Amino acid sequence: MVPLAEAGVFGWLLGLFSFKLVSCLALAGAIFAIGAWGVLARRNVLVMLISVELMLNAVMLTFVSFSRALVNMGPQLSNPYAAEGGQIFALFIIAIAAAEAAVGLAIVISYFRNRQTVDTREIRAMKN
Amino acid sequence: MEYSVQIMSPAAHILFWFVMVMTVASAALVVVAKKILHAAFALSICFLGVSGIYVFLHADFLAAVQLIVYVGGIIVLIMFAIMFSSHTQEAGGEGGRHYLALGAGAATALIVFTSVLMMVGKLNQPLAEQNNRAYEAYQHTVGITAADLAAEPQRLGLGHMLMGEYLLPFEVASILVLAALLGAVVIVRKETKG
Repeated sequence: MVPLAEAGVFGWLLGLFSFKLVSCLALAGAIFAIGAWGVLARRNVLVMLISVELMLNAVMLTFVSFSRALVNMGPQLSNPYAAEGGQIFALFIIAIAAAEAAVGLAIVISYFRNRQTVDTREIRAMKN
Repeated sequence: MEYSVQIMSPAAHILFWFVMVMTVASAALVVVAKKILHAAFALSICFLGVSGIYVFLHADFLAAVQLIVYVGGIIVLIMFAIMFSSHTQEAGGEGGRHYLALGAGAATALIVFTSVLMMVGKLNQPLAEQNNRAYEAYQHTVGITAADLAAEPQRLGLGHMLMGEYLLPFEVASILVLAALLGAVVIVRKETKG
């Protein structure tokens, strides 16, 4: 891998993205960043929940790409858990994300039924 | 020791980049969509794209689970929630000025993405080298022969791992999902007098 100073930004990026691991990690970083932006900047509770789902997906993608990279990269350790360990974590994250979505959406529906709004600017029942 | 570099066919390469661009674009659409139902549709496309990336990463079972749980379950749940909880299906008057939140969000996103990129660019080569060096040290201590190296590494399937090493977390997760199910029902249920 050519250092940044020699290759220039464009060549550096081109060399970087020829690795599948790097492409997948960059994708995960982009999705996580978009999700973080959605949580911070949007004012609708439902959109914020959706953005949290995006961030969870990004984390799962990171786990899976690293576990794939452990298989691809270099001589394999004779650890039978190395290859699919990341996928196990992703499975658990999926289970927990499903639970989180169910409870979160239930709270949103319940709140909307009582107050007729899902806007964070108007949700201040527990303020002060 | 040679690193096993994965070479994709040109068609697979094009498909890979198409899926990546589609995923990022739909993820961006999720957070900028004016109508929240559009955001939900874009989210389903984004999940489809992530599932495609899983296929490229040789995680077939996870891709199927992603399709079934996210696209089949969570998206439907979100759409029900949207239809239950909005008169206008607008994402809620975004017109007010909240430049602080917008700026903070944009700054966070930018910092996260650049730091991931820089980290990966720094790590990529040394990671392979370190793996190699650590493996050589390990080989030296434990005394692995060439026959061991040539042998196909033992791999457990996901099912064996779930039912073996990860049995306790698996059961705890099942209890958590059950509790979440009951909790969601209790929260949404209408209050009955008496």
